[in-house]
Amino acid sequence: MLVKLEGGRIIDPAHNRDAVGDLYLEDGRIVEKPDGREPDEVHDVSGKIVMAGAIDVHSHIAGSNVTLGRQLMPELPLLAAAEGQPVLPSPAAWGSYATGLRYAQMGYTTVIEPAMIPTHAIQAQTELASIPIIDVAGLVVLGNDDYTLNLLRKGDAKSDELKDYVAWTLAHSKAIGLKVINAGGSEAFKFNARTFDLDEQVPEYGVTSRGIVEAMQKVVADLGVPHPPHVHINNLGIAGNVDTAVATLKATQGRPIHMAHIQFYGYGKEGDKGFSSGAPRLMEAINKHKNATVDVGQVLFGQTITISGDILRQFDGRRAANPKKWIINQGEGNGTGLVPYKYKKKSFVNALQWAIGLEIFLLADDLWRVLFSTDHPNGALFTRYPEIFHLLMDKNERSRWFDALPEATRQVSTLGSISRELTLSELAIITRAAPAKLLGLIDRGHLAPGAIADVAVYTNRRDKTKMFSAADLVFKSGKLVVRKGDVVDVTWGRCYHVDPGFDSQIKRRVKAFYDTYYGADPSWFGVTEAVSDRPDRFATIRCAS
Amino acid sequence: MDSTLQRAAELLSQARLPVFGGLFTDVKGAAAALSLARKLGGVVDHAASEGTSRAARVMRETGATPASFGEVRNRADTIVVIGNMPRTRDPKLLDKLFPARATLPRPGDNKRELIVVGAKKGKVPSGVRVTEIGGKNALPELVALLAAAVREGPFDIRDSALAKRILSAGERLRNSAFAVFVYDPAELDEPVLHTVLEAVRHLVKTTRAATLSLSAPGNGEGVNLCSTWTCGLPVRTSFAGDVPENSIWAYEAGRLLRSNEADALVWIDALDGEEATPPTRSFRGVPAVVLSSRPVKAGRDDVVIEVGAAAADHDAAVYLPQIAGIGMVKATAANSKRPTVAEVLSRIEALIDAKGAA
Ligand SMILES: [Zn+2]
Repeated sequence: MLVKLEGGRIIDPAHNRDAVGDLYLEDGRIVEKPDGREPDEVHDVSGKIVMAGAIDVHSHIAGSNVTLGRQLMPELPLLAAAEGQPVLPSPAAWGSYATGLRYAQMGYTTVIEPAMIPTHAIQAQTELASIPIIDVAGLVVLGNDDYTLNLLRKGDAKSDELKDYVAWTLAHSKAIGLKVINAGGSEAFKFNARTFDLDEQVPEYGVTSRGIVEAMQKVVADLGVPHPPHVHINNLGIAGNVDTAVATLKATQGRPIHMAHIQFYGYGKEGDKGFSSGAPRLMEAINKHKNATVDVGQVLFGQTITISGDILRQFDGRRAANPKKWIINQGEGNGTGLVPYKYKKKSFVNALQWAIGLEIFLLADDLWRVLFSTDHPNGALFTRYPEIFHLLMDKNERSRWFDALPEATRQVSTLGSISRELTLSELAIITRAAPAKLLGLIDRGHLAPGAIADVAVYTNRRDKTKMFSAADLVFKSGKLVVRKGDVVDVTWGRCYHVDPGFDSQIKRRVKAFYDTYYGADPSWFGVTEAVSDRPDRFATIRCAS
Repeated sequence: MDSTLQRAAELLSQARLPVFGGLFTDVKGAAAALSLARKLGGVVDHAASEGTSRAARVMRETGATPASFGEVRNRADTIVVIGNMPRTRDPKLLDKLFPARATLPRPGDNKRELIVVGAKKGKVPSGVRVTEIGGKNALPELVALLAAAVREGPFDIRDSALAKRILSAGERLRNSAFAVFVYDPAELDEPVLHTVLEAVRHLVKTTRAATLSLSAPGNGEGVNLCSTWTCGLPVRTSFAGDVPENSIWAYEAGRLLRSNEADALVWIDALDGEEATPPTRSFRGVPAVVLSSRPVKAGRDDVVIEVGAAAADHDAAVYLPQIAGIGMVKATAANSKRPTVAEVLSRIEALIDAKGAA
């Protein structure tokens, strides 16, 4: 069926396009205007904004950590809704089904789950497969696991074994890339360390955080995995940690890296309260290091829960739990910490965090390297993205929020002096084009013929919160799934992953390791097509080597 | 088969409040049951949910400090086994937790020790030092005394030998590099679970500590997890209202059947090597659809559907304690003609959909 979207303003920054025109969809793809054929269906979108479906590069939507959060805090959607957050007051609002529907309503069509635990990949992939409409992919977490650390302890004698191990893990969990969370820090926590820095050594293993990240960067590059290591660096949330972020950038020596939720590292320690915005210094470094991409991890005021494999930081953060309950789950590799948290407008620190996130976006020279995220649910629930779009695109809206912040925060923040407003094209970069490029999902994030027909149509309004909360039309793989903000068809998406080759010797070694230390067999946690009943659930994206 | 499924669809679409019980099934079976229960406005419960429900409520109220089996086995220097159930449920538990083979590097240089609370010490792997905290006192009291000793709080008991053992166990726990309390939540009441959690929370101020809760029989954890990611709530949840609602007391299958609040039962018992115990009054007076991999004494008008046993007749995703998560178990005799629970429930759901459309 040939579908025509007629007369919309097409925003496609991947092709420097911002112009009124028509768009044709057929067989799930965007196609050239066909000669001499009438479309089977025409949608008049004149006066509307047409963008590619949005792509979320970092959102915790599935897996054992997220579900442990649901178990700890089933009341989260109720508390959030009571505050006026855009979420239904039902425990089910946090479930898989509602997740897919709500993302689609906002025009999102691809979401990356950033923390699959290797041994729990079946749960992560089963949950992802129960999320309707959107396409998904998962990042698998290594770097605090004893297998990796053991190889790094031995030095580079068998350096190919690490490469094989990473490749095997990516394939075994059907992941699109590698995640490293506080490299070495979670392992150090097991030996009762309570802080961990870039150059500290992991007890018993001797390797440093710097060494682990460096080794993973090299391995991922060697394997030709399109997405660089997705790194949650050390010292999250601590005053003065902008030093760590800058040092980590320097340590990369030009090799590709993605640094996650960088807002949580934009902190100086100036001023009476020993907490200040490090955003200018951070952005100077990010602007300079063209090998690095970041996602922001913007915070918004209100109730949420933090879910993180950075167990060392979460352990410290437990004292700020609100409501007062928390989980420290000590598992293989990273483990997890879950701490309910409420960002308060009246809090000097929270208000400054909010401002720092916005500064990071607005001080970026190159938005292709500064991607949108709230690190859902850590900074804010994903259902609140439109409020942040509004803040980025409208300086009056920003002032309105800013003026309500505590005096002390306003005095030290430079946000008030930034007049930049993101354009629609710039918004499309940080929510579409850049994530697609970063993930190696070359068939999306843009609107050229050949791209997957993931398209979102919005009514252009001054009120960007309203504009982006409910798309007029959303097409997923060419099917109309949302009309006037309502889901009209519940379809099922695909899961994208890489499958780099490896020397099959590694299977025997990993099997022996799990048998010895865990009395377990790696085949138990290998993801197969069987996690879903849909035969075309998985799609492989190509590695360079 | 088709007419049997048709009868099941008929029976269920007439029910006002169907309860889905047993749920001894794999994750796909659980997902299908949840889907159908949601459609019909029914209730889901699991036949071994007593312990998981208690643990879930404690977690919701105050949190949790779990450790994976692998972490405990490799790194704990002091393991406290509370009650009889852990070793009744898994007679090889201590051999697994104190493996004779090498372990991963572990914190501290204590020799590994076992503390047994409220149970006979039984057979212990050689080379492991054991402290027995037992006697005439009831289990909750012993746990409370040990927790007091951990906090260096005052306590007073007549048995001075026991008091000495408790004090030294408290000291040992404080001096441990990684102390872990092992229990079956089905054996402990909620106040005891809270006491254990408080002891762990006290210990983690200065050292590492955790709990290891035995997983429920019948893939109880797997079904609970599936329920949670599907609707945000564990089992003992009702879909009768606009939003799902969880209540440990109100939505327990046995109570719903005894009180006649439920007017239909879907009983699912289809896991290899395990058998769900039906609640009393299960097949008496309440019309039932039974999906079972073994012969069942059902009522004359009940619809009985023979299904494959998960992990025997077909591959199955179920909770595996060794990886503290859901894993895939290969079928031992994969050529069975018997359908899976998920297949049967999906077909019944499709028939109900078709009826609704007609
Ligand atoms: Zn994250």
